[in-house]
Amino acid sequence: MSVRQYAFLIALSVLLIVLVVMFFKCGEEKKLIPEPVTQMLDSEEISGEESETKKVFLFFLAEEDDLLHPEVREIKADAVVILQAKLVIRELIKGSRNGGISPIPVKTKLRELFITDEGIAFVDFSKEIQENQFFGSAGEIAAVFSIVNTLAYNFKSIKRVFILIDGREKETLGGHIDLKRPLLPRFDLAVNLPGSG
Amino acid sequence: MQNIKRTFVFIILLSPGILFFQDMSDLKISVKDTDDSSRIVLESSKSLSTSIEKSGSYIMVRIRADLPYKIQRRSFNSRYIESLGWSRGAGYYILNIKTSLAKFSYVSSTLKAPYRLVIDIMPEGTGEREKGEIIVESSSDAYSDSNKGNIDRGVKTIVIDPGHGGLEVGAKGKFGTLEKEITLDISLKLKEIIERNLAYRVVLTRDKDIDVSLENRAAKANNNRAFVFISIHANGFFRKEARGSETYFLNLNATDEEARRLAYLENNSSELNTVEGENEDDIKMILWDMAQSAYLTQSSQLAELIQNELNNLLGTLNRGVKQAPFKVLTGVACPAVLVEMAFISNPDEERKLMKSEFQNKIALAIYRGLTNFLKLNLQK
Repeated sequence: MSVRQYAFLIALSVLLIVLVVMFFKCGEEKKLIPEPVTQMLDSEEISGEESETKKVFLFFLAEEDDLLHPEVREIKADAVVILQAKLVIRELIKGSRNGGISPIPVKTKLRELFITDEGIAFVDFSKEIQENQFFGSAGEIAAVFSIVNTLAYNFKSIKRVFILIDGREKETLGGHIDLKRPLLPRFDLAVNLPGSG
Repeated sequence: MQNIKRTFVFIILLSPGILFFQDMSDLKISVKDTDDSSRIVLESSKSLSTSIEKSGSYIMVRIRADLPYKIQRRSFNSRYIESLGWSRGAGYYILNIKTSLAKFSYVSSTLKAPYRLVIDIMPEGTGEREKGEIIVESSSDAYSDSNKGNIDRGVKTIVIDPGHGGLEVGAKGKFGTLEKEITLDISLKLKEIIERNLAYRVVLTRDKDIDVSLENRAAKANNNRAFVFISIHANGFFRKEARGSETYFLNLNATDEEARRLAYLENNSSELNTVEGENEDDIKMILWDMAQSAYLTQSSQLAELIQNELNNLLGTLNRGVKQAPFKVLTGVACPAVLVEMAFISNPDEERKLMKSEFQNKIALAIYRGLTNFLKLNLQK
């Protein structure tokens, strides 16, 4: 082969490798937790008969202090704990009905939620949870533990909570609280807990 | 032309293989006895950034790894090496070499093409060679500090961490002040006060407006063998009324069982590497990820002392000493605190934070707290 042919060959192979690399790398990006299959939850199909309700408590901030305040809410008492937990988180994202401040943006979506046998709830939020938030420590702590406390307080089977964003582990929401390990609830950051006097 | 076609097809068939090798580098480990020592060789197609630490009957090799390695190991029989254990953290591997010797020395060296890290282990007193390590290569900046050569054993290092930086702006005030700017201003002032008054070396995790990962901040402290680590932050909250100063140290966020293990570590912190248990790898994993767990008592003391001085000097609301699982603190292997000076989300406090006079006061308060801590802890 002539020198020119060699040069052509090398150029061709480099281009090819680059293309193949790009092809595979793009593929990797998609290895996320599958899209949530929870549409059925919103329809009435699950329980045709009269649905029972369950009293739950959501943790929001209040005007008077920097602590988390429980707010009572009735949800449909689905037999499956995971579905209940999803409902509770969706309610939390919707925000307070009593003028409380929600540390989680309303545009945030719950992508997925599951609970392991060890009692760790994995909650996967869309990226809106951290967008335009400018978290300081106090704000970030409130956001993280409104979620963790809400899940751990309402469900005995949830001992710890692992927060994911867009299907992935994130180091922190805004540079402070470690999200790379499951978090225990912090009820010391809350007041007026029902039953605690 | 026929030739070209054939090569073309060949390349297509080969490409996935090339990719595979790019993504998963091999890490081969072999153990062999020589006359007077046991030799471990770590071989890799790429050069490695490693650090080696000896403690008790262990040697721990920390290997920086941005991508996972495919680890190849064989069973072995060795005079001085009892077992090898691997654990993996975020961005690194740890190889735990357990020797059968209560007292030993080791020599390490690196060879190129292919890259090899060679560690010879021998009983102390035997062998001609001096105890020590010779590391030829170390490339990444998180794991090798440019000042490393200057570390004088006598001079201790304080590491100051200006919170956030670069794209990570942190909290934001009504007048547009960014947390990352204030934290850097005050860190620079604090560095100056310490250097002017104390015989300490001060290292900043950043001295300009750049992104530094939280892990690299901790790594910088550990690589410089920091005596104290202070992270500087300005607070932010959803209510603009929130105000005051608070100082944090790490909350373990551990279950009871983990807390027991970690408490054990705290009481045996000088032997960080020699913990034994039913599942050693697990324990060591916690241990390296959470180096800070061994320093909680001192960290809480440092937090108290700094918080006291903030109270004395600033006139801000005293929010006290608190605990939370801050990422930047978890990996730091020395007393470490995070100071939330005031709320940038509170317009009154934002205005104060912008003033040089107030910044000087904060730096002075932290300096005084630090000095009190050093007085209490230097005799040791």
